[in-house]
Amino acid sequence: MNIEAVDIRVENISKTFMHNIMGKITAVDNVDLEIKPGELLTLLGPSGCGKTTTLRIIAGFENPDSGRIHIGGDDVTEQMANRRNIGFVFQNYALFPHLSIFENVAYGLRVQKMPSGEIREAVSDVLKLVGLEGYDDQFPNQISGGQQQRVALARAIVIKPRVLLFDEPLSNLDAKLRVHTRGEIRRLQKSLRITTVYVTHDQEEAMAISDRIVVMNKGEIEQIGTAEELYFSPSTEFVAKFIGKVNTLQAAAGPGGEQNTRLTIFGHIFEGEWPQTDIASGRTLNAFVRPEFVKLQKNTEEGHFTGVIAEVTFLGEKVEYVVDVEGSLINATSSDPFEHEIFSPGQKVGIQLFSKNITIL
Amino acid sequence: MSVLSASRRTNPFSSLTKDPALLMSVIVIWFFLLLFIVYPLARLLILTFEADGHFTLGNIVSILGTKYQLKAFKNSILLGTLVGICGTSLGFLFAFTAVRANLSRGWTRFLDAAVILPLISPPFTTAIAMIFSFGPKGLITHGIFGLDNFNVYGLHSTLFAETITFFPIAYMTLKAILSGIDPNVEDMAYSLGSSRWRVFKTVTLPLAIPGLANAFLLLFAASLADFATPLILAGSNFPVLPTEAFLQITGLFDLKGGAVLSFTLLVPSFIVFFLQRYWVSRKYYVTVTGKSGGQSQIKSVKPVVEYLLLIICIAICTLILYFYVLLFYASIVLAFGANDTFTWKHYHLVFTDGLRAIKDTLIIACIGMVAGGFYGVTVGYLVAKKTFISRQVMEVVSMLNYSLPGTIVGIAYLIAFNDPPIMITGTALIIICCYVFRYGATGIRTTVAILQQIDPSIEEASFGLGAGSMETFRRITIPLVLPALFTGLGVVFIRSMTAISATIFLISINWTLITVRILEKMTELELGVAAAFSIIVVLIVFVVTILISLCLKGFRQPGAPQMSNILGG
Repeated sequence: MNIEAVDIRVENISKTFMHNIMGKITAVDNVDLEIKPGELLTLLGPSGCGKTTTLRIIAGFENPDSGRIHIGGDDVTEQMANRRNIGFVFQNYALFPHLSIFENVAYGLRVQKMPSGEIREAVSDVLKLVGLEGYDDQFPNQISGGQQQRVALARAIVIKPRVLLFDEPLSNLDAKLRVHTRGEIRRLQKSLRITTVYVTHDQEEAMAISDRIVVMNKGEIEQIGTAEELYFSPSTEFVAKFIGKVNTLQAAAGPGGEQNTRLTIFGHIFEGEWPQTDIASGRTLNAFVRPEFVKLQKNTEEGHFTGVIAEVTFLGEKVEYVVDVEGSLINATSSDPFEHEIFSPGQKVGIQLFSKNITIL
Repeated sequence: MSVLSASRRTNPFSSLTKDPALLMSVIVIWFFLLLFIVYPLARLLILTFEADGHFTLGNIVSILGTKYQLKAFKNSILLGTLVGICGTSLGFLFAFTAVRANLSRGWTRFLDAAVILPLISPPFTTAIAMIFSFGPKGLITHGIFGLDNFNVYGLHSTLFAETITFFPIAYMTLKAILSGIDPNVEDMAYSLGSSRWRVFKTVTLPLAIPGLANAFLLLFAASLADFATPLILAGSNFPVLPTEAFLQITGLFDLKGGAVLSFTLLVPSFIVFFLQRYWVSRKYYVTVTGKSGGQSQIKSVKPVVEYLLLIICIAICTLILYFYVLLFYASIVLAFGANDTFTWKHYHLVFTDGLRAIKDTLIIACIGMVAGGFYGVTVGYLVAKKTFISRQVMEVVSMLNYSLPGTIVGIAYLIAFNDPPIMITGTALIIICCYVFRYGATGIRTTVAILQQIDPSIEEASFGLGAGSMETFRRITIPLVLPALFTGLGVVFIRSMTAISATIFLISINWTLITVRILEKMTELELGVAAAFSIIVVLIVFVVTILISLCLKGFRQPGAPQMSNILGG
């Protein structure tokens, strides 16, 4: 199954809806994106952030109020959905309830008026590919949710679409199946090399599956980057908080005038490179530190400041702590509990931070 | 995004001007709705409120001023209320037994089958069986107890017969509601320490209240509209509106008086229609709370109570079955109660003398079935899927003739189509139109229900796979609404076989109906022939019901209705 990989350009699209109660709502606000040929790009964000609307505009199910969509260099903005040659996998799968699995998958080929011999071959190939051989004559209500999901996927790829679009395809599956299926989707996408846009609100899923992730909030793009980039160098507070867990610590610029290399947190002075500290000494800032970069020391002398363990959660491969530092609660994660001692509630600990892990936004 | 898509409406004017096919169909449908629903009702209103070319309330005042007619009005309301209460209670008892008493599949099927009988029978069956049981020569009163002066006519018998005839409507409404209540909600109440009775009182019953209200209104309306039962059982001391209006017209040839009487029937019917549509329908609780968990055995009922409930249900079902056996017996003996010699004489008469009526009825039912089925699907599709100006009004208007008592519709048709411009009284056409625009509404409702259950993404999936809107309509939408078409066909056919209240005003020398012949035979006291006719109708309808159920079973999609769910109301 060979599909020529194409790029998708989303140029400054905006879309507003009229809502009965809330009036005019801007669902997508001037979104500009480029998806490279063969790439899997995820639109990630909380519900109502405009990710699904963006995807539906790419598919042609919605028309943008302004902006253009290009697929493989062609401007498809005015093209109807049925002319764009896309494969769309819906959140609820949208299988045709009155058609058998075979006929569901064959649907797009029948529309293309492909000879029935070729249809039979193509459908059985793709059913084999998604592991549903022998299910031809079953009906959608006779198979499990995970199987329905795979039928939806088979139906989308059998027409050899130029792009593949997923709208939260795993949200109706249970946790284990979700992890398994996302791996399958990724493998399939890589082997077929179809340019893919994937919508989800699950950050872990996004990180596991994507080449790049677009974090969206309130109709706008917050940041585009790989999972690592988003995790280690979030460019906005929203991204820092949405991707993974993060502590927000009260920090003060300085001391030391306009040197912009110092930060004071709980009385300890950290040195590093934070352009944002280029302000009057003593002005407060928010410093962001991920829990796994908060190091707890049994010997309080080794810490930059001290705290008291408030909560301990043992999770097997890691231990999560909540530490009380002068009334503020800080989350810390310690991996490899075998090597390290597990602290108990009430225990006094030293807390160590490293400048390179402190982000100021 | 679903909140947004619900409010995403294109301009209703522009959709009409942009889509000529839509414009044409809307115009055609409106033409028929105006002609066969609005126009007759308007003529009825004019006749009611007009005297010497002026508006007046005098007609109503003078009719209701008559003590006898006022009594009919009060009786109708009283009867409707009582039937509502008794039928809802009985329906609830059945529904509760079916849903919560751990019945085996066999018992549930038996209840469903026994209960559907009154719904698919011609309207007189229960009434005739009542006469056979409790009348002057009745099997029970005379035969068993030797009573000679038991009066079968009056409120008590009418109430009893109507309750037995209409409680299945309540049963179906309430069964759906009760089975929609997540048993885990009840389990939760137990785990909080409630007794069974307390759980029933504080959880189950309150959740079922909207259903109870709905069932009551449906039964009230059914009783208010019922013409056949009171005609036979009410007697002269208990006049009700539909029969009075009928006698006013056929007995006294007073069209105006009949119109005014039927108008007084219209007011409570309208109140019920709007209460049901805009009040009760909004009160339904949604008990779907996340994924419904595993469910062990339902513990809501003590085993003793379970048996008690089942025994009561079986007793009632036995009574229903007894009525039918009695009817059959009466159709194969010379003279029920007097001469029990076996004979095929009545059936012979049905197939010679009565053959015309059977033929006429079948012709009318078949034509009406096809027209009504397609009418229902078309209007249902337009109302559910298209956006155009007057869409909501169209939906309400298309339901009117169905919601109003048949007597009103019949009299309105009689008034409207008796003189130019449209003179079709005496033809088969008027009867067919009456059925199509009255019972086609079921097809509309089913189509709307099915289309609402089809997620818009199913059609989008088809677009996404390259199909255009015509191809999507042909390959996806039409197959999905086929069950609605079958439902529509079935209901129009069955009702055409069994209805009388509207069409009794519309029959003529040229075209007559089986149900009317049954009534004639009843009044001529040829009860055996009446019974034989009834048995024939029951058989035909039963066969058709089974055929349609089989057709519906072939559809595997969600929302395909069950036959038993479409006959109610």
